[in-house]
Amino acid sequence: MIFQIVLVTFALFAATRTVKQFRAQKVSLHWLLVWNGLWAVVIGVALWPTSADFVAHLVGIGRGADLALYVSVVVLAYAVFRLFVRQEETQRDITKLVRKIALRDVDESK
Amino acid sequence: MKIIAIIPAFNEESRIAAVVRDASSFVSGVVVVDDCSRDNTANAARSAGATVLRHAINRGQGAALQTATEYALNRLGAEVVVHFDADGQMQGCDIPAMVEPIETGAADVVLGSRFLGKKTNMPMARRVVNRLAQWFTVAISGIRLTDTHCGFRALSRKAAQELTITLDGMAHASQIQDLIVVRRLRYVERPVTIVYSAETLAKSPSSMRAFAIVKDILKDKLITRV
Repeated sequence: MIFQIVLVTFALFAATRTVKQFRAQKVSLHWLLVWNGLWAVVIGVALWPTSADFVAHLVGIGRGADLALYVSVVVLAYAVFRLFVRQEETQRDITKLVRKIALRDVDESK
Repeated sequence: MKIIAIIPAFNEESRIAAVVRDASSFVSGVVVVDDCSRDNTANAARSAGATVLRHAINRGQGAALQTATEYALNRLGAEVVVHFDADGQMQGCDIPAMVEPIETGAADVVLGSRFLGKKTNMPMARRVVNRLAQWFTVAISGIRLTDTHCGFRALSRKAAQELTITLDGMAHASQIQDLIVVRRLRYVERPVTIVYSAETLAKSPSSMRAFAIVKDILKDKLITRV
């Protein structure tokens, strides 16, 4: 019961933050719908835990909670990988920029 | 031949001038890349006669070498590029012997080695780390060298153009070895003398260096190239 309250409260909090950002024109309508759709699913599964069991059975997993855990691990691992690659690309871009400035501003008067 | 020594420097105000003067006696020009030092490295190098390029943000030794290489090739028309350290551990008098195989056309890349006969006062811990690095390099690059992370190198113009360093940190040494194999460049090792001092050893503890290098290489091989 406590877990359900915490999860639903957090999901509602996250959803309202996204709405705020949408109103401030910081995120698109597309992102608002995707993100809040996800939180709606989280709220649904938190309030009716057996609903996830149905989907879990479809893909051959015993419990809905297990399915949620497996999916989260895969999604998070992929997200970390993407962030890592992006961060590496950013580092290389910074180096290119720093190099360009160094080559442009070199003092050749000796 | 137009030989340009390139020296990446980070907080080397106290040593860089002597290093520039030492190298200058054996090359046509010296290029120092000040990798965003907090001290007066740039001015010290400039007053000793070097051309100084400055990184506005610290990017690491590999990045500084690549910046200097591009300058030496494109603006100075270098025919040979010599990688030289800023901390005074390398000896300018080794440069002619390093460059000789390129001048005679015997090699595209000459790699300095601390284990080919010349005396060195390398500490035991560093020897062990170096031996591990040797095995690691054979496994990763398939290149067998007596010294994998010496840092003293001479590159022909062709080799300098082909060995583009994209690993900004210390792992650039492994990347250079990798690229030597990939680009099928001819390489030889030559003995060099490296003089260690307590001051320079404290600046880069061997164990930490080794860890950072392995991390960078694995990151490059397993993730960035996917």
